[in-house]
Amino acid sequence: MTTPISYFLVVSAMLFSIGTIGVLVRKNALIIFMSVELQLNAVNLALVAFSRMHNELDGQVLAFFSMVVAAAEVVVGLAIIVTVYRRRRSASVDDLTVLRG
Amino acid sequence: MLDLIWLVPALPLAGATVNLFLLGPSRPGRRLGRNGGWLATALVGLAFAVSVGALLDLLAIGAEERVHVTRLFEWITAGSFSVDVAFRVDPLSITMALVVTGVGALIHLYAIGYMEHDPRIGTFFAYLNLFVAFMLVLVLADNYLLLFVGWEGVGLCSYLLIGFWYDRPTASSAAKKAFVTTRIGDAAMLLGIVLIFVHLGSLDFDAVFGEAAGGLTQGAATAISLLLLAGAIGKSAQLPLHVWLPDAMEGPTPVSALIHAATMVTAGVYLVVRSHVLFELSGTALTVVLVVGLVSALYAALASIGQFDIKRALAYSTMSQIGFMFFAAGMGFYTGAMLLLVCHAFYKALLFLTAGNVLHGMDDETDMRRMGGLRVDMPVSTVWFAIGALSLAGIPPLAGFFAKDQIVSFASTSDRDLAWVLATIGAFLSALYIARPLFLTFFGRRRNDSHAHEAPGLMQTPLAVLALLVVAGGLVLGLTAEGGRLAVFLEPVVGAVEHGGGALSEGTLIGFSVAIAVAAVLVAYWVWASGRVNWQAFPERQPELAGWLANAFYLNALYAWLVQFPGKGFGRALRVVDERVIDGAVNGVADEVGDASRLAPTIQRGFVRSYALAFLLGAVALLLFLGLRIV
Repeated sequence: MTTPISYFLVVSAMLFSIGTIGVLVRKNALIIFMSVELQLNAVNLALVAFSRMHNELDGQVLAFFSMVVAAAEVVVGLAIIVTVYRRRRSASVDDLTVLRG
Repeated sequence: MLDLIWLVPALPLAGATVNLFLLGPSRPGRRLGRNGGWLATALVGLAFAVSVGALLDLLAIGAEERVHVTRLFEWITAGSFSVDVAFRVDPLSITMALVVTGVGALIHLYAIGYMEHDPRIGTFFAYLNLFVAFMLVLVLADNYLLLFVGWEGVGLCSYLLIGFWYDRPTASSAAKKAFVTTRIGDAAMLLGIVLIFVHLGSLDFDAVFGEAAGGLTQGAATAISLLLLAGAIGKSAQLPLHVWLPDAMEGPTPVSALIHAATMVTAGVYLVVRSHVLFELSGTALTVVLVVGLVSALYAALASIGQFDIKRALAYSTMSQIGFMFFAAGMGFYTGAMLLLVCHAFYKALLFLTAGNVLHGMDDETDMRRMGGLRVDMPVSTVWFAIGALSLAGIPPLAGFFAKDQIVSFASTSDRDLAWVLATIGAFLSALYIARPLFLTFFGRRRNDSHAHEAPGLMQTPLAVLALLVVAGGLVLGLTAEGGRLAVFLEPVVGAVEHGGGALSEGTLIGFSVAIAVAAVLVAYWVWASGRVNWQAFPERQPELAGWLANAFYLNALYAWLVQFPGKGFGRALRVVDERVIDGAVNGVADEVGDASRLAPTIQRGFVRSYALAFLLGAVALLLFLGLRIV
């Protein structure tokens, strides 16, 4: 027996919502970053679930791509956050308002 | 030589090019300017030699076939409109070319001495050569459009040379005045040329005059002639477009002699004589020429008597003499007009250049009230001026006598009694107004302490030649109205002189002319040189009359009131429109854009999370939009 597709999608939607709320409400850059990862993986879950449903590999291939890109993004993003923390002794995104118009 | 006639304008043009671009504005430390002057003079002299060659060739042909047209190249073609660059050699054009190059060369020679110390002498000779080139294009052109090119070209050179000392505000404004005033006439003239093409389908002289005889209505001929006449009036400084000529005396004296006495200002007379077929066809236009000429002659004669600036007095006398030429042309006495044109070129150039000697010797003093008795310091110049003045006054056997006497006599013998009376008055006044500067400047009591010096030999040489021409010119060219050499020579172009019978015999008329001239000179001597009349007190005793004469009947003021005043008002109104409406619109748009762009930064506050929220809301809105569309 197979798990119905809706289960996966509900989990995916919950993860994505948690990630979205995290991005919006948290101030710490590191937490926001983690929330973004949560959103990415929620989408990956949905992709794989749909892939299974249609019996096609396209979705899974796309999931791999997004994981690779996410890995690269983590490298760059963490480096930026660490550098910002070193310079300012704070990782709060609300302090980073230099580009205010 | 006839096929080489293009050389005549080309040589001075080459001189202008060399002077302007190669020798040009004298570079510091190099005295090329005077050499440029010699070059310019030599090239005009060469052009004169070519003209003489062309004249000899022309004389070798039978009188009726003396027309030679050299087509250089096709200039403009558009549909049926076609204009060539073509030069025409016929008795009329070669007469003009000889005067322009001959008198021009002498004045160039004089100018080498006169302009010697001017730092921009190279530029001066470039302009002077350019003027001669354009003037020759004007007189040698075979169609109206090429004539117009020369016509505008001499106007440009006149502007450049009047304003040659452009650091004097009076000179630069006089230059502008001359340019703008003549431009009014030129615009009308251009319209006349367009009308010629519309009615006759060509601009070539032969075609136009050939067609006109059969295919032109009197109304069209009148319109064309009057428009051409407007151009002539502007260029020749006749009423009512004369106001620029006295002011043009701000230019260097050789310029006044060449452009504003001997050549350019007589271009209007040339135009009328050249177009005489059209004027005769109209009839009315010819009468207008006569009236304009006569009124201008009398007006300028009176104005000249009121001037104390020697050059302005001579300028008004030029206007008056050209009035006589128009008067003669208006009566159909074209050979008389041309004889006066040629003789006037001789003696007026002589008078102006001698006035240049006076200016040169007296540190640019032009006010005759501070001259007087110069015959002691400047004996040679006195002789030159006396020859020129007596010639203009009409004392035989000088050139002016023949020209003026023939014109006045013609008026008497052609049943124009009123014109004859007025012309006689004009003749008397002309003798008076030219004897006046002679006596004021060279005779009477000295009214100046400074010592005047005589001009150097280089400047006296051309004057001697001109004086010789004045003495011999009339005898050689115009002994009698019908049989004079010039009249016979010009006959194929302008027709024979038609003499009507008159109440007075030829001899009586000549005696009368001479008597009038002598009387006027004696009156002038008695008033301005004998010391018995206190002429200096005249402005105080008769302030009204003196003011009218000195200000030339206040026509300048009238024009200022009629044109300048409304013009300035209109300009001010335009300025308000420009500042409020046009600038206002542009500045308003810029202000609005600026205000709008100040709103944009307020949403860019630098908070990453607010951007994220906007991002989210945008995505939701997009999804809703797409979702609703699918549903």
